[in-house]
Amino acid sequence: MRYRTFTIAVAFAVAAGTAMDAAAQEMPYPRVADMLYRVMSADREVYTRMVVQRLTVDEEILTASEHFEDEAALPLPAQMFRFGAETVMDNTEDFSYALLSLDPINRNNGPATELEQAGLEFVADNPDENFYGEEELGGERYFAAVYPDRAIVEACVNCHNNHRDSPRTDLEVGDVMGGVVIRIPID
Amino acid sequence: MSQKVVLWLIGMTLLAAAYVAATMLVGGDRRALLVGRTTDAHHQIEMACETCHAAAPFADAATAERELNETCRNCHEDELDAAVDSHPRSMFRNPRMASYWEKLDARLCTSCHAEHRPEITRTGAVTVATDFCVACHSEGDEDIRLDRPSHAGLGFDTCATAGCHNYHDNRALYEDFLAERAGGPALRPEPVHGPTARFRALERPAGMALGRGDAVAPAAALADTNILVQWAGSGHAAAGVNCTACHADGLAADSGPAGVTARWFEAPSTRACRSCHEPQARSFARGRHGMREHPGVAPPRNPATGLERVGLSRLIPEIVAGWVADPVPPARMTVGEARLPMRADAEEHRALDCGACHRPHDVDTVRAAVEACTSCHDDRHTRAYADGPHHTLWQAELSGEAPPGAGVSCATCHMPVTEGREAIAVNHNQNDTLRPSDKMIRPVCLDCHGLEFSLDALADADLVDRNFRGTPTVHVESMEWAVRRSAGDEGGTAR
Repeated sequence: MRYRTFTIAVAFAVAAGTAMDAAAQEMPYPRVADMLYRVMSADREVYTRMVVQRLTVDEEILTASEHFEDEAALPLPAQMFRFGAETVMDNTEDFSYALLSLDPINRNNGPATELEQAGLEFVADNPDENFYGEEELGGERYFAAVYPDRAIVEACVNCHNNHRDSPRTDLEVGDVMGGVVIRIPID
Repeated sequence: MSQKVVLWLIGMTLLAAAYVAATMLVGGDRRALLVGRTTDAHHQIEMACETCHAAAPFADAATAERELNETCRNCHEDELDAAVDSHPRSMFRNPRMASYWEKLDARLCTSCHAEHRPEITRTGAVTVATDFCVACHSEGDEDIRLDRPSHAGLGFDTCATAGCHNYHDNRALYEDFLAERAGGPALRPEPVHGPTARFRALERPAGMALGRGDAVAPAAALADTNILVQWAGSGHAAAGVNCTACHADGLAADSGPAGVTARWFEAPSTRACRSCHEPQARSFARGRHGMREHPGVAPPRNPATGLERVGLSRLIPEIVAGWVADPVPPARMTVGEARLPMRADAEEHRALDCGACHRPHDVDTVRAAVEACTSCHDDRHTRAYADGPHHTLWQAELSGEAPPGAGVSCATCHMPVTEGREAIAVNHNQNDTLRPSDKMIRPVCLDCHGLEFSLDALADADLVDRNFRGTPTVHVESMEWAVRRSAGDEGGTAR
């Protein structure tokens, strides 16, 4: 697992390096965040489609489980995303990100700030748009962007609709399940 | 006050200030300056301040704190990773967690593990109040009582003290793990520690065994028949490890008797052991017995660097600088330095190197598994071992009445055999399953006992003191709650 998260971290570090270079060249924060999001989103979609969906649903070779280490299973896509986010936080404070939802299975992934609440509501109501804003956290000012996160394959909705802690059980493929929140400290 | 007294006082004050400045900035023994008794284990390295205090002198408080917390990971990162830390620092570094930072700043190890605070230090070097979970799990959507009605009447001081939760390591305590193992027997039908049984079943490569006549050593050494007999019956001889492997490190294969004598040294260091037993040496350095060998421990400061820092490098002769050099910490922990109760007849100056438990020539692992421990440790749990059920099983295994792995020695639980993808070895970090003791459940207890019994037994302090003679009188209810919740009977507030 550590090797996988390391690989993700390297991929994000390269992407982040490019994005932060762009920031250094006075590229607008939304543009930097958009670039970061494209990398995150692409990796997430590839893992979900080509690994989880293929192996667990299409070919039924493996299972995906939140207890993947004990069950010799695949980490859930949301876990992979979180591991990447945490690995980034171990290496830099230049940006941060999280996968959140208004209906989270884990309460900790619900909105924690006013901006997160507003952003998640916005992308839920406007699935084709992003939300941008600024907020102060811990005495620092941040640019924040929220991107809609959709259920892209059947595996997503199966897991969320059947999990005992899921507050929502009527999800369908294509629905907005939550949002990716990216923050960049404002110099 | 007379003028003479005043002058004396001024002089003494200046001398004291000079001593403090010299020891802080250049070198010297700083233990007299410790602001409070160091926690257990860390007291072994308290003369190597830079192990933890990595920031430069006069760094601002924020930098000093940040650097201080980075150094924790030099020694503890591996165990946190192995524990699949359920509250990783990285989670709290995300600014979205800022509202928690003021309640309990979990980005910093020192928020819960302050050093030099003996008056508030509890087991596990924990210095935060026992109800620390209340900081983040008692309000709003994070209120744990919202979807766990079973927790409604519980005090937050019981979360981590009743056998239910650990802050870092919940591998044996998470709900699904509990629910899946509910109803297990107190004792399995054929209790055997699997990794130990497989370890004992390992076969040595054929044709490598050496006998007394094969020993290669100077004539004087060969004359000691006691040692020769011990070696000939040891695992080393069985594996083809001759005397010169340890006593003449680097000896060329074609060296004759003169070459052996020339390279021979009487007392090999642990480096000789490590050259073949690297995984064991690595884990040994992670425990209290061997932590002084950990690469994260800072070496003594170079006085020349300190003198250069204060602009005196060319004014103070080197020999004078040597007077204020840092004391070189002892290479090994000694029995006398232990803070746990030790036997009165244990040698105080006995250093904990490999030979302390494994006598160097017979490398008797049976002795190392029990007698080596009981020859020093003198707490109730240790003293009760001889009358406990685990000892009975150990005796049965040694006599052949029970199968390999059925016996329970001190090492079975405190230095368990562990299996990796490529190797199987004894974990020589004897603290690995003790911080806290729930960590013992998965690698050890569950091979012989059910989870419910294991949780109850480890939560019963008296039973632990009696070395498990008797049955648990404490019951950890978390398994029933996990089962009810798993079955959907727990209820909870709809969100």
